[in-house]
Amino acid sequence: MSSSIMILMLSVSTFLGALGLVALLWGVKTGQFDDKSKFLDGARYDNEEELHDAVMMEEKQKAQKEKKKKEYRPAD
Amino acid sequence: MADIKCTHCNLTFDESVMIVEKDGDETCYFCCHGCQGVYHLLKDEGLDTFYAKLGENTLTPPKESEKEELEKYDYEGFQNRYTKLREDGLREINLVIEGIHCSACVWLNEKVLRKTDGVIEADINYTTNKAKVVWDDSALKLSKIIETIRSIGYNAFPYDPKLQEEYATKKRKDYYMRILVAVFGLMNIMWIAVAQYAGYFAGIEQKFKDILSVAEFILTTPVLFYSGWVFFRGAYYGFRNRMVNMDTLVASGALLTYLYSIYAMVTKNGEVYFESVVMIITFVLVGKYLEVLGKKQAVDTLDLLKSTIPTEVIKLQNNGEKVICAVENINIGDILEIKAGEKVVIDGKIVEGSGYFDESSLSGESIPILKKEGDLVLSGSVCSDALIRYEATKDSSSSLLASIVTLLEDSITKKPKIEQIANSISGYFSIIILLIAIVTFIGWLYFTQDVQRALIVSISVIVIACPCALGLATPMATLVGIGVAARRGILFKEATFLETMAKSTLVALDKTGTVTEGKPSVITADISKDIDPKLIYSLVSTSTHPISLGVKNYLESQFEDIQTVTIKDAKNIQGRGISGIHGNKKVYGGNEAYMQELGIAITKKPLNSLFFIADDSKLLATFELKDQLKEGAKETIANLKKLGLKIVMLTGDHDQSAQAIAQEAGITEYHAELLPQDKAAFIDGLKSKGEIVTMVGDGINDSIALSKSNIAIAMGGGADVAIGVSDVVLIDESVKKIEDAFRISRRSYRAIKENISFSIIYNIIAVPMAIMGYVYPLVAALSMSLSSLVVVGNSIRIKRLRFKEKN
Repeated sequence: MSSSIMILMLSVSTFLGALGLVALLWGVKTGQFDDKSKFLDGARYDNEEELHDAVMMEEKQKAQKEKKKKEYRPAD
Repeated sequence: MADIKCTHCNLTFDESVMIVEKDGDETCYFCCHGCQGVYHLLKDEGLDTFYAKLGENTLTPPKESEKEELEKYDYEGFQNRYTKLREDGLREINLVIEGIHCSACVWLNEKVLRKTDGVIEADINYTTNKAKVVWDDSALKLSKIIETIRSIGYNAFPYDPKLQEEYATKKRKDYYMRILVAVFGLMNIMWIAVAQYAGYFAGIEQKFKDILSVAEFILTTPVLFYSGWVFFRGAYYGFRNRMVNMDTLVASGALLTYLYSIYAMVTKNGEVYFESVVMIITFVLVGKYLEVLGKKQAVDTLDLLKSTIPTEVIKLQNNGEKVICAVENINIGDILEIKAGEKVVIDGKIVEGSGYFDESSLSGESIPILKKEGDLVLSGSVCSDALIRYEATKDSSSSLLASIVTLLEDSITKKPKIEQIANSISGYFSIIILLIAIVTFIGWLYFTQDVQRALIVSISVIVIACPCALGLATPMATLVGIGVAARRGILFKEATFLETMAKSTLVALDKTGTVTEGKPSVITADISKDIDPKLIYSLVSTSTHPISLGVKNYLESQFEDIQTVTIKDAKNIQGRGISGIHGNKKVYGGNEAYMQELGIAITKKPLNSLFFIADDSKLLATFELKDQLKEGAKETIANLKKLGLKIVMLTGDHDQSAQAIAQEAGITEYHAELLPQDKAAFIDGLKSKGEIVTMVGDGINDSIALSKSNIAIAMGGGADVAIGVSDVVLIDESVKKIEDAFRISRRSYRAIKENISFSIIYNIIAVPMAIMGYVYPLVAALSMSLSSLVVVGNSIRIKRLRFKEKN
């Protein structure tokens, strides 16, 4: 076994593991694990309608942001 | 007639009382108009899939909403106190939602809120029932949001997130992320270390060894500096306060081992110890995380208590008009009105009316007290039956309830941990090791003039002094101890409490609910043949007074399947008793004063409370009631004395009943008629005399004393606040568990001492060798692992602790 193969194995496996860790940390940071029971029920209640709702909320937030942008535009 | 389920709330009622409605092909039954209204609202909004999600769960039927109350939510003062203006111009509020029973309720509330125009974000936590709502103030008013929640049958009230909840959650999350990184690093380093160990014994080429070392180095670096950051910070604060604490040891040990390993890696000389760096950081960090979890629970319960305090009161203006007024705006001398079932928020003196007040949350006394004009009412008590007007004698911030909450907040954030840390043996030990390392460095430098050699030898002193064995000595033993305790229904919130509890010298017990059952029960009964027990049973069932409940329970236990008979015209006579008519016969039940009023002679004169049943002419039954000792209380107290503990009983009750209970339980020292603050002051007095005090209690009235004591034990069924501020919780409320808790803590403390003495002996042998520069890599690697294993094994022995009763 050459040392380059060993370096490759170590770096690839550690990198893949690190990707998983980063995803998990992102989940924790954005509050996706804050409520255990909701996390579990999310799967139970998941359907098309929920997706519509999520899109609706996102659009609402986007619209809000745009509205603010307009308001804060300096008068010229 | 059959019982039938309400279509909305799923509660079952008799068919005859239900509102029946044809809805298409289906027949719906509703228990009230509230349920009917909500059902149609959900149906119209297309949210009726809620019922499929609800399944078999039941809901609380919605209350009729009170319109005028909602206005206050839009006042500026209210908004400033409870809401937060975000940078993007949106407002944010934290609400506690009342009436959530299941995840379907969470779903419904979120759904409805999100559908409302102007709501930008709505998140509800199922566990705490807390909601975070972000909305656009220009498009929607806060009162509208509250109204929306009410319209679907729930209620929402705001709470102040500036408390500590947010901070505690953030801290917990922070720790959790650090642990994730540490565990990831640990798992990966371990399998690399396996290769390295194998190579050590079977022979390995230097180039492979270098690759493995570099891989370990890459994995260790984030663990040490990201996960281990808390220890560096702790060590820094310790250094600023001129204290050497556990953090100093962990931080310096891990950092020096890390530096030494880098040196060994770069010079290809000696062994690397990256895996011990990661191991020590991870294990100690997990221990710390468990402590953070405990603290968060305390904060949660405190928030809940605050949210139950009413925020407004009814004030009478000079012209007799009633206005709803925020609690903060009440001045001394204002006349306030309180209705039956309401909680008093401001201390005052009654000017009109009389009624019973339940002060159980303040004094622990379970029997409501009659208060007349001129009597003082205390905040925190609940008016149980009448409309009362009283004059405020204090403002909101100095009223009793508010001051209890403030005191608790202070004690949670400022609990003196410093003395515990300073007392712990490991603190001293780490100073010694650091000193020895410095002396070794100076010695080698002086005698050999070789800086590099001196540095390596002194680092090897610290490495071999084994942060593992010493670092694990306390956490391992306490973790096992906590596990053993938890299996017996004793919850220790923090590991260090085991140590403090083992050292405690005095136990202060609360009387009601701790030593005694907390509710009166019948000890003797004398029922004449002329009366049917069913009649007594029916009569006492009409009242919720603790004495009536005691008699009711007694009758239920004496006569199987006892049924009620119809009682007409049942009346509660204040301070006297109850009366009713059965058939054409009048029946009275009450105390001695009531009987004298009826002209019935009473001859019996015992110490305990009496309850009589009579008709117009003669006495028909007598019950003697007493608050009884809990099962096993006497033996437990005797056993605690055998363990060398002093026992004191503290109570808000009368001297007479305290004396009786103390005598029965075998307690020689007791103090009666103490207010919550008095109890706390008493604990402070004991502490200043040098006693280490363990306090056991269960009510809000004990909570200040609990927070002041060195170790606080709360009964699981007690008030949430009491559980929140205490360090140890006994789940099943049994007194015997107090003794178990002491035995477990003392056994664990012994294991800690054994572990530490082992590490000291180990170090006495290993450190001199290191000082002389004779540390062979093989010895270092083996002794490091072995010393840790010994500590772990010794700690597991705690599990073999025997308890008297087998189960």
